[in-house]
Amino acid sequence: MSSSSVPSSSSGAAGGGGSSGGGGGGPCGACKFLRRKCVAGCIFAPYFDSEQGAAHFAAVHKVFGASNVSKLLLHVPVEKRLDAVVTICYEAQARLRDPVYGCVAHIFALQQQVVNLQAELSYLQAHLATLELPTPPPAPPPPLLPPALSISDSATSSSAFPATYDLSSLIDPILHPSWILNQRQDIDPRSFSTTTAARAPPDIPSSAASSGGDLQELARELLNRHAPPVVPCRNQASTLPPHSR
Amino acid sequence: MNSGRCAACKHLRRRCPSDCVFSPYFPANNPRRFAYVHKIYGASNVGKILKDLPVNRQAEAADSLYYEAYCRIKDPVYGCVGLITILHQQIYNAQCQLARIQAEIAALGTQSQSEVQQYQQVENVGPSFLPDQNGVPNSTSYYDLSTWFD
Repeated sequence: MSSSSVPSSSSGAAGGGGSSGGGGGGPCGACKFLRRKCVAGCIFAPYFDSEQGAAHFAAVHKVFGASNVSKLLLHVPVEKRLDAVVTICYEAQARLRDPVYGCVAHIFALQQQVVNLQAELSYLQAHLATLELPTPPPAPPPPLLPPALSISDSATSSSAFPATYDLSSLIDPILHPSWILNQRQDIDPRSFSTTTAARAPPDIPSSAASSGGDLQELARELLNRHAPPVVPCRNQASTLPPHSR
Repeated sequence: MNSGRCAACKHLRRRCPSDCVFSPYFPANNPRRFAYVHKIYGASNVGKILKDLPVNRQAEAADSLYYEAYCRIKDPVYGCVGLITILHQQIYNAQCQLARIQAEIAALGTQSQSEVQQYQQVENVGPSFLPDQNGVPNSTSYYDLSTWFD
């Protein structure tokens, strides 16, 4: 994924204390896009400036709708709204870029990478254990050495993407932060698939991913590094992703 | 007629046509699935997304929309991105662990190689690895662990 094109904290946003629209400041990016009067106290104004904000808001509006985003933001504390807007923009742009999977494709790739790394770790840990055992003088070597292992490719490598994703393998992600390494198997991975009775997934603690300022910083850094490019809203829904069938 | 409507049309309180775009993916037996998607995206946007896709990709799209909607409802601030952040952290931790273990293995490999050499000097034992096709002892020792790593 290319570098950030999501509204950063510098693009007209000041964590809720920035321009509030209306008056002589001109309309915010959202109201500009919606061609409506930007009132004082506009909920979008701190996060969508009148220049790049309009492009970002276009993506958000196309995927989520202005009304839905407005309701979402109203339910988020003011100090968290900037992060919410950033992540919503990221998801919107990911969905426009990949109408089938959106940012779930990235999640899937990362999960695969974690699994690969765990396999490498297990192998090397076992190998380390054998090396650490006291051994007699060396015997003739074994016939074949296993292939050299390397750290898996970055999650941004598209060559690792399968042609389609088995979404039934997406297991409950945020039950515990260490779920990946613990390989939780007690959650029905078919919860998100239409092919089953589609039982709702178990509850996810909402605080799991939002605890602490460190996570906020990481989220911002992640978005700056990995967010997909802003794509024009027009004609995107008809563009199939390169890795789809 | 109430029976036979998909979850979407039931939620929207409308007739469910035979070519309803939602009905294959939002069955009546799981109303929460459509409720989540509708809450985050809106029925109209979901319908547009699905209609713009070929039929064979619509199921996956519906699943991914539900997944994202679910994540967003459970974590209104970060949604799926929270999970991405956590996965990145775990990848980073695993890579650090890998590097550590590889360094330990390399260190142990160097140590055993020197032990082998000392043993060979004392016992005057020939190479302990298979010779190459010319009968010349292969100089790439079994203990040369540098070949393990790219």
